Amino acid sequence: MASLVRSTTRLLPSTRTLLRPPHLARTYATVEPLSNLGEAMSASQHPTPESKTSTIPEPSKDKESKIKTFHIYRWSPDTPSEKPKMQSYTLDINKTGPMVLDALIRIKNEVDPTLTFRRSCREGICGSCAMNIDGVNTLACLCRIPTDTKQETRIYPLPHTYVVKDLVPDLTQFYKQYKSIKPYLQRETKSEDGRENRQSPADRKRLDGLYECILCACCSTSCPSYWWNSEEYLGPAVLLQSYRWLADSRDEHKEERKSMLDNSMSLYRCHTIMNCSRTCPKGLNPGKAIQEIKKSMAFT
Amino acid sequence: MYAQVRTAFKIEAANLTSTSKYTTLTPHKGSITSRIVRIRAAASRKAIKAAAFQTSSKRDILPAGPQVIEGTANDPAPVPTPSPTHGSYHWTFERLMAISLVPLTIAPFAAGSLNPIVDAALAGAIVLHSHVGFQSVIIDYIPAKRLPRTRALFWWGLRAATLMVAIGFYEFETNDVGLTEAIKRVWTA
Repeated sequence: MASLVRSTTRLLPSTRTLLRPPHLARTYATVEPLSNLGEAMSASQHPTPESKTSTIPEPSKDKESKIKTFHIYRWSPDTPSEKPKMQSYTLDINKTGPMVLDALIRIKNEVDPTLTFRRSCREGICGSCAMNIDGVNTLACLCRIPTDTKQETRIYPLPHTYVVKDLVPDLTQFYKQYKSIKPYLQRETKSEDGRENRQSPADRKRLDGLYECILCACCSTSCPSYWWNSEEYLGPAVLLQSYRWLADSRDEHKEERKSMLDNSMSLYRCHTIMNCSRTCPKGLNPGKAIQEIKKSMAFT
Repeated sequence: MYAQVRTAFKIEAANLTSTSKYTTLTPHKGSITSRIVRIRAAASRKAIKAAAFQTSSKRDILPAGPQVIEGTANDPAPVPTPSPTHGSYHWTFERLMAISLVPLTIAPFAAGSLNPIVDAALAGAIVLHSHVGFQSVIIDYIPAKRLPRTRALFWWGLRAATLMVAIGFYEFETNDVGLTEAIKRVWTA
């Protein structure tokens, strides 16, 4: 019905023009002679002669500008035979946000939209923008751009990872390993009142410095042992998470968790190199967590 | 099909230095990927021929192998069967051995007496300690999964070397002056 009404209204205007007499027809836009209009008619506004006009000067280069060079690792899977290369970008860091991620986003928005990197929260809580900046694994959103413009910043993907594109590493193995340690509460007995599994403030305190880990993989990819044996060695981040559940007073599968680590490769490839604790952008100490696991497994 | 892809990767790997990183695609039968791999293999064979005329030095560094993911991306990584003899017991034994070496090294010089039993204990501890240490190095740098033959070679090579050192120490302890006395004589600083 509605479509019928619509079609009839569409038909109406054409019939109306047939019925309308010519003297009532609407006039459309016409061009009036210039002499009848605006400036020519007004006595107060004479057009400015060309001799008295000037052009606006081109914006000169800002003397205050701080031009910083960023060398960024580029590799595209679209051209797999091409070797990875470093591409240079220059930015005025006075017009850029303070963090390296701001610079990367600005390069992507204004200079080169093909630059690829992961980012999400821009405040160090998601762990997406982990990359190697000036030789240190860190989160781009938590790393300030060094203000010294003479020093050029070099940005690589996380070391010893398979690169998907540019600064995007493949973390499949990392996540598979995380899944293998069963990162969830394992418990058979119910709490007495059938409600939440409670723990004392002292027990809760033991989880401080463990639960804050955001799994950005900065520590694991800084560990030489993990570089050589990432297929079998779990790496600092996953072992920190493993200890987070071993230290949890509510978990009841501690022995099973320990026996999962009790072999040559999973845990004992850690040689206390401590790159993990040095690089952690959240200031955690995975090296200590691994030591705690080793200690608890040595004297039982 | 899979074998063909593997050879393609091997040829490609020969061209890459250890610093190059590349991802691999999972090839399916008759997919575009498999064709690309074949084309790439042909291209890299050409590159090998061309490389013979390069003046830059050849760098024989182990290239990064193709990425191998066991199972799907959603499966957990396989958990090895627990074996405390290679895990926690081994670690504890290693530490106790390292700690016991400290008094064993200092005691003969501090006491000034040369007890042949302490001397023999020191020699035995050194043999075991270095054997375990070298084992650790081999496990770290020669992955059994990727290089099983090289691993076996080094593993048995280490055992032979340790045995030789042990025999040498035994001969030195029984037929010569012994370890501590030898160090005392050499140490003239």
